[in-house]
Amino acid sequence: MSEPILSARDVVVKFSLRGQILTAIRGASLDLYEGKTLAIVGESGSGKSVFTKTFLGMLDANGWVDSGSIMFEGMDLAKLKTEREWLKIRGKKIAMIFQDPMTALNPLRTVGMQIQEVLELHQGLKGEEAKARTIEILGQVGISDPAMRYHQYPHEFSGGMRQRVVIAIAVACNPRILICDEPTTALDVTIQAQILELIRGLQKKLGLTIIYITHDLGVVANVADDVAVMYAGDIIEYGTAEEIFYNAQHPYTWALLSSLPQLGIKGQPLYSIRGTPPNLFNEIKGDAFAPRNPRALKIDFVKRPPYFQVSPTHYARTWLLDPRAPKVEPPATIKAMRAKYARDAI
Amino acid sequence: MIADTREVLVEVKNLRVEFKGKGKKPFVAVKNVTFDIYKGETFGLVGETGSGKTTIGRAIIRINPVAEGEIRFKGQRISGIIPKELDREVTRKIQMIFQDPMASLNERAKVDYIVSEGLYNTRNYKDEKDRQAKVEKALLEVGLLPEFASRFPHEFSGGQRQRIGIARALIMEPEFIICDEPISSLDVSIRAQVLNLMSSLQKEKSLTYMFISHDLSVVRFIADRIAVIHKGEIVELAETEELFRNPLHPYTRALLSAIPVPDPRVEREKKVLVYDPRVHDYSVHKPKWTEIRPGHFVLGNEAELSQYEKLLAS
Amino acid sequence: MTAKEEKTISAIEEQELFTFAEFDEEASERTGYSNYSYWGSTIRVFLKNKSAVTCLIIMISLLAFTFIQPYLPNQKNPITVHLDPNTGRQLMNHPPSKEYWFGTNSIGQDLWARIWSGTRTSLLIAIIVGVWEVAFGIAFGALWGYVRQLDALITEIYNVIHNIPTTIIMMLLAYIMRPSFKTMILVMCATGWLGMARFVRNQIIIIRDREYNLASRCLGTPTSRIIMKNLLPYLVSVIVMRIALSIPGTIGWEVFLTYIGLGLPIDTPSLGNLVNEGRRLIMSPSLRYQLIFPSAVLSLITVSFYIMGNAFSDAADPRNHW
Repeated sequence: MSEPILSARDVVVKFSLRGQILTAIRGASLDLYEGKTLAIVGESGSGKSVFTKTFLGMLDANGWVDSGSIMFEGMDLAKLKTEREWLKIRGKKIAMIFQDPMTALNPLRTVGMQIQEVLELHQGLKGEEAKARTIEILGQVGISDPAMRYHQYPHEFSGGMRQRVVIAIAVACNPRILICDEPTTALDVTIQAQILELIRGLQKKLGLTIIYITHDLGVVANVADDVAVMYAGDIIEYGTAEEIFYNAQHPYTWALLSSLPQLGIKGQPLYSIRGTPPNLFNEIKGDAFAPRNPRALKIDFVKRPPYFQVSPTHYARTWLLDPRAPKVEPPATIKAMRAKYARDAI
Repeated sequence: MIADTREVLVEVKNLRVEFKGKGKKPFVAVKNVTFDIYKGETFGLVGETGSGKTTIGRAIIRINPVAEGEIRFKGQRISGIIPKELDREVTRKIQMIFQDPMASLNERAKVDYIVSEGLYNTRNYKDEKDRQAKVEKALLEVGLLPEFASRFPHEFSGGQRQRIGIARALIMEPEFIICDEPISSLDVSIRAQVLNLMSSLQKEKSLTYMFISHDLSVVRFIADRIAVIHKGEIVELAETEELFRNPLHPYTRALLSAIPVPDPRVEREKKVLVYDPRVHDYSVHKPKWTEIRPGHFVLGNEAELSQYEKLLAS
Repeated sequence: MTAKEEKTISAIEEQELFTFAEFDEEASERTGYSNYSYWGSTIRVFLKNKSAVTCLIIMISLLAFTFIQPYLPNQKNPITVHLDPNTGRQLMNHPPSKEYWFGTNSIGQDLWARIWSGTRTSLLIAIIVGVWEVAFGIAFGALWGYVRQLDALITEIYNVIHNIPTTIIMMLLAYIMRPSFKTMILVMCATGWLGMARFVRNQIIIIRDREYNLASRCLGTPTSRIIMKNLLPYLVSVIVMRIALSIPGTIGWEVFLTYIGLGLPIDTPSLGNLVNEGRRLIMSPSLRYQLIFPSAVLSLITVSFYIMGNAFSDAADPRNHW
């Protein structure tokens, strides 16, 4: 396999909140490969947004990277301090789009000017040339009649169209990595499908590397080449989309997949996880998921599991993969998914 | 046509709901909506943002006034001005579960008050001890510990808060519960908990649900029949599997094609359809709400209906 | 213990570790707790603000002192006119001395006693008016904000009263009635609640249609209980802040009314009276103490309440609760 474009190692992120220290990311590692889409799945509070914000130096003022490294183009992003250093990365090399497009748009300026400004600032284009390129980009992100839309304000656009504009601004200076933080969560399914298609198309055309943050496994199945599953500030399983969907290993991934109504059988109860994710103010001992896992091992409460390798691309942080561990049957849904995978593999 | 022997619990006839805006012309949120909900079933109402699905739910529970048409509960009209006696009965028997558990609980009141609020209103308890016993029972029924009664909502997680909301409805011993996107603001791992709880409560207490959602895949799992609403009008209504097997209206088909499936191979093969309202030519022939097959309703004019017939035949 | 023994023991332990643990369902239900308390955090943040706490202590002591002062030994009556033992005439404009700590005024009354008596009067007026503003303003504002049918009617009433300048209403009332303590209170109560009512109304409109209020309506909760249980508890913090700011405001009005000659009668000392008396002597440097002393007390009260009000409003904002 080729060299990763971005490589995060044992990243620990802490926040100070109400006089207490909260450990939001507890030593997460990640490799990102050129031209691929990596989906980070997790619940709210799992740290998926916080983790990727460290790649851009966009943590809130009360948070900091405590230890670990984030290597990108021979630089350790975890060591960057000043805003000036970050400005060379943020937007230029790594761009990010958010759930609410209005956070990125200025309501008082026309859409065209906002894109053109980015082009002029970063690519040195001027006047008519910049305008022509702006209209071209607007067309590229699927906005019909871009020459007319160029002169309109954000409020004249629908939610889906605004998100397209934000994507246009993000790709305007040809970043290497595009981080999408739940860009379709606030949109209707029909619009969501179109935005996903757009992102996939842009990736092919521009050779982007994409990190896609979401809690929706349906969306993951649509966009992802690779999948990282996060729980309580840690990546607990990592693999290709097929490996995660058809051969999941961590009990939390099992639970996530089998609790989906889409995969459930009507009239029968869904597989459900008891309780709620842990409070990150407290120190977490062992496997963070153990208190909610009815078949947790004793060691899960004592020692944090290391990554066990399942395949060259597939890792999972669970003691169940240790040779000494007893055999645990995955839930029915997972077995069905595995059977499907096995059948197709032959 | 087969005679339907099921008991109708809620009837909605030609419902129209308007909101007064700044201008003279009111905004029409819902128009020409007609459907029945049978006792003991789960009726799914699916639509996108602004389609009017929540408005219908709130019209049934009488928060939104009805501009035209009527709503009946157990054969009695409950829309408009109704006698006090009936009002009290309906208040008790129709309950609602809200979308956002972070917003739907009173942060300044203890769980004990929140859950017993309905009891206080209907005086449906003998004495203080009886009230406490009822609160305890309701909390246990939704899988919460009775000791939670003395705490404030902000101490709980989203899933727990949603269950407090369910306990608040259950304590009224309702027959019909309107669930307005009850799981869409919950975390993925919590959704199954709440869905299971709702299903088991339905069996235990023979409840009837109206399940409002934007997520067809969730509705498919929980609902017996599904109505699809678009821009304030219901465009199609059928039994769940019938709707998924034979979607007729182009909007239903677009919606179905857009649902993300948590299976990479299926998801990558799928073809997304885009709905364009301009496919309908209603300039000459107006669309009619028609039962094209027993139990399968669709909105369309004559030309469209004959086209749908052909689709069904093939 | 040898290394070998250690190894076997840890091997046994390890085997034990790879067995299933017991699952505690209740524990899994408890994992999501936070122990955050709104009022606890509000008070904590407020107490961290040193200047606000200092002001609070000063104001409490000041209020207590105004009541204790007359019973302390060697205090003079605020309205007694002191005579010069040598001449037998009024002891006019006697500068501060051992006998008269703050000096005497132009007719020979003891300024020290007058200042404390005046502070007591002014604070009393401010507190009574404040309580009225809270009681009537909130009740009126809550109905105005929550009961939609009343909105148009009350808005009209509000507009009518509000469009007449407050000064004119106050002057008119003060002019019709005889200047007295009661008149002052009545005059300020007549207009003071307006601002509070509108403030409460606007706040209630903001939270009126939140989901938890819809939930209460669905449960058939009567309007009065929705207001008491659902709406006002959310407004307590902003209301406390309004009261804190209304007290110096009321004192300011009192000073103003006295200044234009419609205040309390001269024989009832108040901060307004004292400042007004002092103002007349501003041109003669040796008598300026008659303005400086009451003004100092007035500024202390005003500044303290503003600092406390602002500190409280910061403390009541959940975004500052860390």
